Amino acid sequence: MDLFDIIGPIMVGPSSSHTAGAVRIGYVAGKLLDEPIKKAEILLYGSFLATGDGHGTRKAIVAGLLGMAPNDYRIADSFSIAKQQGMEISFGSAKLENAHPNTAVIRLRGADDKTLEIQASSIGGSRINIDKIDGIDTNFSGDHPTLIVHNLDQPGHVSEVTSMLAHKGVNIATMQLYRSAKGQKAVMVIECDQPIPQDGLSWLEHVEGVLKVTYFSGI
Amino acid sequence: MTEYHTLKELHELSLEQKKEMWEIIQQADMDAGERTAEQSYAKMLEMYRAMKDADARYDGNLRSASKRAGGDGEKLHQYNEAQKNICGPFVGKVMEKAIKMGESNACMRRIVAAPTAGSCGVLPAILLSYAEDYPATEEQMVHALYVAAGIGKVIAENAFIAGAAGGCQAEIGSAGAMAAGALAYLQGGDAECIIHAAALSLKNMLGLACDPVAGLVEVPCIKRNSYGAVNALTSAQMALAGIRSAIAPDDVIDSMRRIGNQMPSCLKETGEGGLAVSESGEKYMN
Repeated sequence: MDLFDIIGPIMVGPSSSHTAGAVRIGYVAGKLLDEPIKKAEILLYGSFLATGDGHGTRKAIVAGLLGMAPNDYRIADSFSIAKQQGMEISFGSAKLENAHPNTAVIRLRGADDKTLEIQASSIGGSRINIDKIDGIDTNFSGDHPTLIVHNLDQPGHVSEVTSMLAHKGVNIATMQLYRSAKGQKAVMVIECDQPIPQDGLSWLEHVEGVLKVTYFSGI
Repeated sequence: MTEYHTLKELHELSLEQKKEMWEIIQQADMDAGERTAEQSYAKMLEMYRAMKDADARYDGNLRSASKRAGGDGEKLHQYNEAQKNICGPFVGKVMEKAIKMGESNACMRRIVAAPTAGSCGVLPAILLSYAEDYPATEEQMVHALYVAAGIGKVIAENAFIAGAAGGCQAEIGSAGAMAAGALAYLQGGDAECIIHAAALSLKNMLGLACDPVAGLVEVPCIKRNSYGAVNALTSAQMALAGIRSAIAPDDVIDSMRRIGNQMPSCLKETGEGGLAVSESGEKYMN
């Protein structure tokens, strides 16, 4: 265990899981959308729903969507800051089965009408897990630079992506592959030890069969 | 490569290498991670200054989201100022700072988790009071933070530091053990004295349940920061006087783990037992 998980993190209270973790969930969601957020629908589940008000969970998620870190003094004022920035926010409860007790589902619409739905859980300390993106199961922490590639389920796409990473000197920490059905859409989620240079990402976007490239540089 | 997994190993490495305990802890951090001594020190200094900043920014007018927590730190401050303090100036100050930090956390201010947000008041209450009342340099305070962090790391590896995993003994109990060790260090205690201060403090917190009312980090968490800090002071003083824990320090940590594993889940941060289900506990939010 890292020494600075014992003394630290520096965070806005009251709860590492219900506040700091919630900020991180919002932060990752906002970065994955990668454009200014016009509309956010935030659905809470389990303990997030039951004790979220007293822990500032809703304010924390909104703060994260606004790009704040867990130590940002403005977290308590996130609702009014979102309003100033023209972000439309609504809250509700998520109907889930077998989800972690501290789970949120966030649906976003960006200024250029890009949409994103993520399901994420706060799993202890301020650590989080991204459980689903746009309905497809995922499993990553947001701690590392993370590359998410949506592509057609065809031979060769994994090797195109991993060759690019090797060429850029980026080491893969974890890699997961999913597909909706054989020959349909596939997703790869790759956590890396180093950041991925922009030109590598731009190259990937133009590869035939690659539908969408999402990159998150890490919390 | 320097590494340690028990308090005994920390003690022995200090003796073998003829180094202070904080040096062993810093060296192990450098060997395990990708930080240099300078980066590690700078980060620990940042933690110390963030604690100091959080203490200075306390606002007695703030209330938590439940509207029930806040203002008690100011009451203690007024009482101390009124010269009515029967605990002595240092203990009175420690109590005040511990409650203030716990309230700041409940009121969505910035704090340093040490080891958790719920127990964030114990360690800074003792360190910052010491820095105000005794001639200690900022460097010494950072060294004391290393001592606290090393003790906390051993507890995390061999037991737990989360209330949901082991009850409040794992949160306030761990924070107190860390603070007692840090204070013993600041007062000139050697490695043996430091680990016994930690053990004595933890021993008196064994079995403490985590039964937060309405599931919030308010009742009993905020006041427990003060009790945890005073318990740590008592333990450091005993260890500095030469008193040793009859139970070996690592055995105390093992006992904490066993007790935590035997504790029913209703007493581990679920809000389903203890104070949380008392008549007044259930009315807390109304």
